[in-house]
Amino acid sequence: MSGDTNPAVAFEARGVSRRFGATVALDDVDFDLRAGEIHALVGENGAGKTTLAKIVAGALRPDSGTLRLFGEPYNPRRRSEGSAAGVAHVRQQLSLVRGLTVAQNIELGRPRRQVAGAPEETAAPGDGEDASLPAAGRGAGRRPWPRTFNAKAARAEVERLAAELDLSVPPDELVDGLPLAVRQQAEILISLAWGARLLILDEPSSALGPLETEALIELCLRLRSEGTPIIYISHRLPELAELADRLTVLRQGRVVTAGEEVAGSDLRRIAELMVGDLSLLEVRRPDLELGDVRLEADGLHLAAEHGPGLRDVSLRVRAGEIVGVVGVAGNGQEELASVLTGQATPDGGTVRIDGTDVTGSPGTAIATGMALLPEDRTAGLAAGFTLADNLIARRVSDAEFARFGVRLRASVRRHARALAQRFDVRPPEPALRAASLSGGNQQKLMAAREMERDPAVLVAAGPTKGLDPHAGRAIRDRCFEAAARGGAVVIISADLDEVADLSHRVVVLSGGRVTDRFGVEEMTSARLGAVMAGLHWDRSGEREPEEATGGGGDGSSADSGAPQDDGEGATGRHPGEAATRGGKEGTS
Amino acid sequence: MGKLAELTFWTATFAGGMRLATPLIFASLGETIAQRAGVLNIGLEGFMIIGALTSLYVTVESGIAVGLLAGALAGAALALLMVWLCVRLNANQVVVGFGITILGVGLTGYIFRLTTPLGAERRQVNILPEIHIPGLSDIPFLGEAFLSNSWMTWLALGLVPVVWWVAQRTVFGLEVRAVGEDPDAAFARGVDVIRVRSIATLISGLLAGLGGAAITTALVGVFEPAITAGRGFIALIVIIMVRWSAWGVAVGSFAFGLADALGTNLRNIVSDSVPTEALQMIPFFVALIILIIGARRARMPKSLGFNYVPDR
Repeated sequence: MSGDTNPAVAFEARGVSRRFGATVALDDVDFDLRAGEIHALVGENGAGKTTLAKIVAGALRPDSGTLRLFGEPYNPRRRSEGSAAGVAHVRQQLSLVRGLTVAQNIELGRPRRQVAGAPEETAAPGDGEDASLPAAGRGAGRRPWPRTFNAKAARAEVERLAAELDLSVPPDELVDGLPLAVRQQAEILISLAWGARLLILDEPSSALGPLETEALIELCLRLRSEGTPIIYISHRLPELAELADRLTVLRQGRVVTAGEEVAGSDLRRIAELMVGDLSLLEVRRPDLELGDVRLEADGLHLAAEHGPGLRDVSLRVRAGEIVGVVGVAGNGQEELASVLTGQATPDGGTVRIDGTDVTGSPGTAIATGMALLPEDRTAGLAAGFTLADNLIARRVSDAEFARFGVRLRASVRRHARALAQRFDVRPPEPALRAASLSGGNQQKLMAAREMERDPAVLVAAGPTKGLDPHAGRAIRDRCFEAAARGGAVVIISADLDEVADLSHRVVVLSGGRVTDRFGVEEMTSARLGAVMAGLHWDRSGEREPEEATGGGGDGSSADSGAPQDDGEGATGRHPGEAATRGGKEGTS
Repeated sequence: MGKLAELTFWTATFAGGMRLATPLIFASLGETIAQRAGVLNIGLEGFMIIGALTSLYVTVESGIAVGLLAGALAGAALALLMVWLCVRLNANQVVVGFGITILGVGLTGYIFRLTTPLGAERRQVNILPEIHIPGLSDIPFLGEAFLSNSWMTWLALGLVPVVWWVAQRTVFGLEVRAVGEDPDAAFARGVDVIRVRSIATLISGLLAGLGGAAITTALVGVFEPAITAGRGFIALIVIIMVRWSAWGVAVGSFAFGLADALGTNLRNIVSDSVPTEALQMIPFFVALIILIIGARRARMPKSLGFNYVPDR
């Protein structure tokens, strides 16, 4: 079947264009994926990566252009046709049904020609396509209604594949209860069980901690060695350097660099191509000028239904200081954020802002100058409300905006427009609904409301998560600004790069406890990985060579010139690699 | 009062409970499927009463088997309206459900008046006889109370394991649960959400129609306006109480049937000493407490009542 044309090419797009109304999402894009390679697709948010991915998956049809899959014309009309042809699209928003178990999910929507438990070998590198192609044709054909499923066979299939891929995916647990990383593994596993011979991973690492990301990278490399080509979408360049063979850069719907070999290419240049203007992306962390202690959390205890809760967590943040709290998601970060901001009442311990006890009292916390950027933007904004309503949400009854309980519309609108412009919310239209803004602008909107007046304490959870470099930069600057103006800033994140870029000082949270504290200049991936996994960091251990030059906490320049998404220098995931890249930078 | 201690009173009450549970089982089983698929069909009352009227009228002409079938089909036909409005056009499920209730009660009352001679209050057919199972039905108390049922009751009970099996063991059952929990994810996994929800809604209409038919043709043998007397709503309560479990539906329906029968039978005994209303409340309380404690683990379908609008 395959191989008439070019068996080395798994997927090929020629001249693909797609518009949404007036916006051109993809403009005459060529793309090819070789059999057995990992091809990274990079670009800012809105560059067209996801549109292209959806077209490959069959979820969108291109307005023009041709597609070929394993040498054959490929015109899927919907996602299910794409997956029947062997294309699996694993999205950020994972698509396992949460109320069912993993084993049930493997059966749900399984292409009809497949049978549970039929041995389904992943393609071997040599005869890749030939081995995997009949997957769709094999099996028992249509079975009579009602189709039943064999729970035991489904479970066995999950277990067998998990063993083959060296994953631990529990077949009988509800997807709801599984950590995100495991859900993602389960989804990849199910795609393979369904006969996937091409994987698209869309921002797969965006919500993963470093160890989980390592595991993901290993999984991808293993799949590649077994002959499954992967389109890997990300804007985290260091990660791509580890796993991708080639990369294609999209900017504003156009291909900027097509299929460049990753080995030997300069990541800084790639980042430059991606955003167009690298100078925007320099990190200028404000110098540390310590003031008085503004945020003081003492001996916080919290029993949680799920997860570890908090166990004896203490935190002191001074004016002008930015403290990063890192840890694998689910180790108490959410709890800490809600206790610090007074939203949750701890079982023990106190939280004080400038000496005022705000424990368990969000109203007092806000009144004393607490600002919060929650990780879940839907929790921080009323998406159905207008920009103006969101912007004055803290001050609805101020004399400026209401008289005798009646709102002063003109004044509200004027204020909202000025505030939106000041924080670069685009477009700054007070009457627009918050839901219609992009993620980055929603985050800016939230920042505008929270930081309209200089906050005494800013708690920001994953503030730049999922944002493109420009928006991420804007939010990061707001955090710096808050610190520079004498605020105490706490960044809570699972993203090491984010924490490394933002913080002066790092606190590691693991199992609800603080397991390590150090200045950001001492932050190395080995140390962090160990403490985040709950292992004891051996302080006598060998120090990585680049650490000596990798200072950042004192405002010196190790981080300047680093692209935002790139964990540079001392913060690189792999000491060795960071060292070589650091060297490269030195010469550039 | 002494009668309360007599076995015959309880035998009659439990047998009555089985009979009165029959329409509830049909209606709640169907509704369980619809709700599991995320469709909140609160128009059960309307489906039931249309099934009740149709079934009785057809039975008068063509016999009971055709009558029951007609009742079920009438329910399914009305469900088509619900599918069209709620599943296809994304109308609000609660509004449409109430509309169907009002439509059903009003329309049947109107048809009944049109077709019934002035002065006559009801239409009558012979109710289904109890099936005597040699040996089993003769067991003292147990046999008489639980094993002497009409075949309609046996059919209702027989449907319980069928629905359970479909929900737990078939791909369709998985799809139903998936579209009720997380329709977007189900769609992404290749499930035709609209189709599954449509079928589930049709099944719910079909079984509610059959439940209504069970009232007129199997239970009381007559039709009169508003004969379903709120049983459609009771069926909704049963489902919530037993948390969408097919076996629970049988137990919950019986609890309400028993309460119903007990209320009726007690009225004959103690009407002087105790207010009947007070007596009628006791079994409801008992049923509620037992069922709420007994069936805590199952969860409400996450997308119950929310229409599915495909990603643009």
